[in-house]
Amino acid sequence: MENLIIEETKYTPSIKLNVQNRTIELIGKSYPENTFEFYKPMMDWIESYFNNNEDKDETTTVNVEIIYFNSSSSKLFFDFFDLIEEAHNKGKSIEVLWVYDEENESALEAGEDFKEDFEDINFTLVKKSLFICLSNCEELLGGYSRELIGCR
Amino acid sequence: MNVDNIQNMVEKDGIIFLSYGGFLTQTLISGMTEALEKEAEYNELSMSISTNIYTIFIELSQNVMNYSKTRQANCKEVKSEGLIVVGKDKDNSYYIHSQNIITKDDKDKIEPKLIELLTMNHDEIKKRYRELRRSGRDKHGKGGGIGFYEIAKRSDEIKFEFKEINEDKFYFHFISKININKDN
Repeated sequence: MENLIIEETKYTPSIKLNVQNRTIELIGKSYPENTFEFYKPMMDWIESYFNNNEDKDETTTVNVEIIYFNSSSSKLFFDFFDLIEEAHNKGKSIEVLWVYDEENESALEAGEDFKEDFEDINFTLVKKSLFICLSNCEELLGGYSRELIGCR
Repeated sequence: MNVDNIQNMVEKDGIIFLSYGGFLTQTLISGMTEALEKEAEYNELSMSISTNIYTIFIELSQNVMNYSKTRQANCKEVKSEGLIVVGKDKDNSYYIHSQNIITKDDKDKIEPKLIELLTMNHDEIKKRYRELRRSGRDKHGKGGGIGFYEIAKRSDEIKFEFKEINEDKFYFHFISKININKDN
């Protein structure tokens, strides 16, 4: 299975789906003209990734950092977390990090709503400043830094 | 063409940072959003206020754009221009207006939803928004789905009016207000 990378534009996020690292990453703004068409390759990739991925012990990390988004993206993200929850319920190990800027209340609120809507998922809200620190410290601290922000 | 008239209008009703009338495209919307980002930065708006402004602006302008696209696809008579205005009132609140022409059928669909929205408080709007998102109703709908709930959730006040052009056509004028000085 190939990795999928979609470059960031002014109105769509950077999308990085990596099989080897087991990471799903979305960073940026999201207000495409045709939201469902734009995200279709990503949704298809995620579906086949969880179907092909038999190694249940290895954790897949999902990093989402969306600064602002339109209402059709909001629906799309709901479907996205639905896919993740489905994979989780089939026994896949997945952790979701919802990264938000401390000053961006609506990004925090959006994360809180998704966390509540998908209670089964291991869903952590992470302040961006802490997340940057985490990314930088991970090599030094290993798993310990993940415990610091409350991830298992 | 008297540019001073436009200048006077801009100064009279507080400061308008952005005003556009004409055909709306995605590239244009994205460019205008960039201009709003510059204004927000210049006016040192908090990130929460500014992301609310961008989201409402995007929602309203994409509504106008998508509405005219649907009309085109259905081979109906097209009048796809819209009007969009973003400004700052003297009382330091921000406002976004949008206006476009819609048919009577669509007015009859939107109006009851909007009338109901006006009777709902913020918590009720948030709750309804999440219910609608979960139910997947209007899933691939362009506008008129959760869009107005998204706007209402982020506005301190919304207003709208339908102005009759003829028996089948109406101007749909929508206003969202965002206060800067909030308690929380």
